[in-house]
Amino acid sequence: MRKQFFSLFSVLILFALVLSACGAPAAPAAQPATDGGPVVDEGQAATVVEAGELVPPVVAEACEGEACFCQDKTVTVIVNTAGEKGPISGPFYEVRDEFQAATGATLEIVEVPFAEHFPKLLTDMTTGTGQYDTSIAGAWWLGDLVGGDYILPLDEYYSDTTGKYPAWDIEDVQQGPRNLLTYDNKLYMVGNDHDGQVMYYRSDLFADPAHQAAFKEQYGYDLKVPDTMQEFRDAAEYFNGKDLNGDSTPDNGLTMHLKVGGQGMFHFMSFAAPFVIGPDNPNLFWFDPATMEPLMGSPGHVRAMETLIDLVQFGPEAMMGWSLGESWDHFLRGQAALTFTWGDLGALAQQEGSQVKGKTGAAPMPGTTEYYDIAAGEWKQTEAPNKVGNTTGGSWAGVISKFSDAPDCTYYLLALMANPAKSEVYAYRGWDGVDPGRFSHYLEPNGTNTIDGYLAAGWDAADAEAYTNAYFENFGAEMQFPYLRIPGTFEYWTALDIHLSEAATGQRSASDALAATVEDFNAITDRLGRDQQREIYIKSLGLE
Amino acid sequence: MNAAEAPTLRKTDRTKFFFILPAVVWIVVFTLFPLLYALYTSFFSFRFGRINQFVGGTNFIRLFTDDNLHNGLRVTLVFVAITVALQMLLGFSLALLLNREMRGKNVLRALMVLPLFATPVAMGYLGITLFYEINGPINALLGALGWGAVPWLSNPFWATVAIMVIDVWQWTPFVFLVSLAALQGLPADLFEAAEVDGASSWQSFRQLTLPLMTPILWLILLLRLVEAFKVFDIPTSLTLGGPGRATEVYSLFTYRTALRFFDHGYASTQGFLLLLIVSLIVALIFRQLRTVYQEEGN
Amino acid sequence: MRRKTSPVQLILTGGVMAFALLWVLFPFYWALVNSIKQPADTFRPGAWVPFWQFQPTLEHWIAELSILETRHALLNSTVIALGAATLSVLLGTTAAYALARFRFGKKGNANLTTWFISQRILPPVVVVIPFFLIMRQLQLLDNVFALMLLNATFTLPFPVIILSQMIRELPKELEEAAYVDGATVFQGFLQVVLPLLLPGLVATWIICMAFSWNEFLLALSLTTKSAIPMPVIIAGAEHTRGVQFWYVGVRVLLTMLPPIVFALLAQRYIIRGLTLGAVKG
Repeated sequence: MRKQFFSLFSVLILFALVLSACGAPAAPAAQPATDGGPVVDEGQAATVVEAGELVPPVVAEACEGEACFCQDKTVTVIVNTAGEKGPISGPFYEVRDEFQAATGATLEIVEVPFAEHFPKLLTDMTTGTGQYDTSIAGAWWLGDLVGGDYILPLDEYYSDTTGKYPAWDIEDVQQGPRNLLTYDNKLYMVGNDHDGQVMYYRSDLFADPAHQAAFKEQYGYDLKVPDTMQEFRDAAEYFNGKDLNGDSTPDNGLTMHLKVGGQGMFHFMSFAAPFVIGPDNPNLFWFDPATMEPLMGSPGHVRAMETLIDLVQFGPEAMMGWSLGESWDHFLRGQAALTFTWGDLGALAQQEGSQVKGKTGAAPMPGTTEYYDIAAGEWKQTEAPNKVGNTTGGSWAGVISKFSDAPDCTYYLLALMANPAKSEVYAYRGWDGVDPGRFSHYLEPNGTNTIDGYLAAGWDAADAEAYTNAYFENFGAEMQFPYLRIPGTFEYWTALDIHLSEAATGQRSASDALAATVEDFNAITDRLGRDQQREIYIKSLGLE
Repeated sequence: MNAAEAPTLRKTDRTKFFFILPAVVWIVVFTLFPLLYALYTSFFSFRFGRINQFVGGTNFIRLFTDDNLHNGLRVTLVFVAITVALQMLLGFSLALLLNREMRGKNVLRALMVLPLFATPVAMGYLGITLFYEINGPINALLGALGWGAVPWLSNPFWATVAIMVIDVWQWTPFVFLVSLAALQGLPADLFEAAEVDGASSWQSFRQLTLPLMTPILWLILLLRLVEAFKVFDIPTSLTLGGPGRATEVYSLFTYRTALRFFDHGYASTQGFLLLLIVSLIVALIFRQLRTVYQEEGN
Repeated sequence: MRRKTSPVQLILTGGVMAFALLWVLFPFYWALVNSIKQPADTFRPGAWVPFWQFQPTLEHWIAELSILETRHALLNSTVIALGAATLSVLLGTTAAYALARFRFGKKGNANLTTWFISQRILPPVVVVIPFFLIMRQLQLLDNVFALMLLNATFTLPFPVIILSQMIRELPKELEEAAYVDGATVFQGFLQVVLPLLLPGLVATWIICMAFSWNEFLLALSLTTKSAIPMPVIIAGAEHTRGVQFWYVGVRVLLTMLPPIVFALLAQRYIIRGLTLGAVKG
């Protein structure tokens, strides 16, 4: 016994020694600037802005005495786990001191993993505890949050003109993302992040004459930024297996993130939109409004799924186990030629560690040449590529709990972060996860900003232009992917997420996966009440 | 201790209840009462996290028609069968091999305790880094041995293997430690007599070790089965049940039903099904076990 | 076993032992190494040995420990584990004494023992749903006290079974002598049995503490903010921005060290505990 203890303690002491040895300050050895991959050459690294260097201006003045209307109050925000320097959660840590000084309140930040966020929030609300004053929520939760009467309409706060709250302008938000802030004509979310997926491509590779010649040789047409899904596929196939970043190892045609619980279902939505939505079918993607029968098994959906699954072969196999971060990093290391994802990537490409600064083009999602008109039950051809804009994603923005004991202080916090001067900096930066979608983010003539702001923030001019134009076009597109916001959407989309993963990993065929999705959707609808669901769905389509 | 040696302490009948009742009441309050409450909720449907309406036996009927539930059951049964079999085999073999006087055995035994108490959910997250497919340590080692990269977390089959590897890592030491302790408790004179009679190692293993160890092995099997059916932490943290539902074990599915989708009534019925299955298995094996616990508590 | 060991066998067993050790220890080493790596070294192939292949840093440890929420979670875990273990041992010791020293009908003792053991059979997911609903009703969600009570329930079989065996091994004559001197049953229990039981008590307490510390499902289901313990905090190391290897390393070690140290301290009783008393170890 004693002997054992001795050996155990020697192990522990060794452990402690190793630890204390590491306490010695590490020599500032030349560190590779990336999360892996080859070292970035110094010339490039020098121009790259480090996370945290660019800070939004302080816009709220510190209060004194009476003016501190939140003295002794605590505002608790629940947000997806990402840490002090992570997407969506980071800005809250950054603004904490300013907010506290301006109102006298204390700000508490609770981080929970993406998959646990909605359940935790709903739990808190069903108990009426009100531990969370605000959730930086996904827009697809509004059906449940409003339906359960759990969150406050914010119109009164927004239209308050006494100067009590920081000002922000909802008209500045482009129409697509603006629609997500309101529900039933009432304002429920304070503008923050504006999500939508666009296509990113390596502009250096597409401009390379050698690649252009080889591509034409192989496919019989010029290599260009893909306009259709077929061209996207050809480009992904062409670049797959070639060395794209000069490290002499083969890289991938594209990258995606398809881990269950890693928000992969958004990939399917952005991708499937032009297969189903078209001029004659602007609205119907999810359910038949007459019966609430799911439409996910339609020929349009099936072809979209088959096409998407076919693309999987041009990406790394590991992406089936990836969340967004890993997939972004793959592109940022120069290991993929194409991807389609949110605004974070375009901004991250400008940051320290990126190997694709100045090489990251962006364009709206490619279209199709025909789409399946669900009402007519037939495929319809289009002359120009059928492109559909989207607001897929969370558009993570603050909602205020009905059970909050400090709703005014909470609104102050959200409005402070929605302030244009702050929002502008959020849009410039990649790490904070707050993505562009306001006219004040776009370059003239689309919006009111100029390239100077982006350049000062360390952007490559061409990248910034392509990026902001892509988002302006995406959110402004005539046809928009119908975002779902009925009760149970979290559950519907989780089912889609799981079945997408099954199809991507070959456990089911595309049509089987969608048939299973239909089955799950029906079970959810029946459980939540088909008639009640139908009523809300019809209302959400504006068909009343 | 047998009945003939029953306690002869001077005692009043009431005193003994003072001693036993707190624990009994405690367990009744914290397990029986919740189980009854679960039975009650299983007759209701929920909406927005609140009881919505009485649905009769609907939730019980769903048990038979829900493919996703059946998938959870299948995944769990496969997981239990393979991990427990591997743990028994590896743990017992290791114990047989190291059941001799040798240096370093005590250190080994002490270190073998570590995995048993390593927080399972922590092992799941650590697993994400261990099984990382591009340049992760396991694939790097396999690469050095000339193998290709294994798609540990992106392939349904390998993801299942990955959660099993962690469970086997964690619990093989348990089988080893218990078997070793039991082996060392076997009567030495029997083996010496067998050796004098010229029995080979194999013969004394077949005719002495194995029969003597059988009850203990049944016990280990039972304990491992019971714990293995509870599996939740590792798949939840390592794969979140994916890819698809390839690693969505029963408890994870039930957890999701209840605390992700707030279908508490149906989740309760799922719980009862699991309890029924585990109880049946325990009842079957417990018969084999009488001898081990026979001396207890008479 | 009692035969002479041939050199081949020696090499074989040595090799197996070495492999077993590596197998058991590698994950801990990997967690440690990751926790002291710069993010840039994380994905660099061949960065396995600190100082030689990469320059270690303590920055992640400092960063992690400076996070208020992590410190709070460590405190919560400690409170829950200590509280649950203490409750469990308190309740368990008296029950163990009753089972060891008194008779409850003809088969009562055996049945009671089996009933206590059967608590370990109940899959936690079966009761977590009613727990959740009841705690919600009682406004006890997100309360360390609630977690303490529940963990005490699930660890209760350990002290009952382990300690009842130990008490049986103590000579009854000691108590009987005390009774002759005029002690009551309670006094006999407190003054004679408990002191002799002390090492076993401490060991069982430690085992219960380790189990309560490691518990995840209840903690995940029943906490929302202020009662969150370490196993739930760990989940935060998988970010929107990808898996942060360095934080995984730090958090995994922070979480695992206490139960492992506990377990090593109670090593002598672990086999008896984990087999619910069937194997003495």
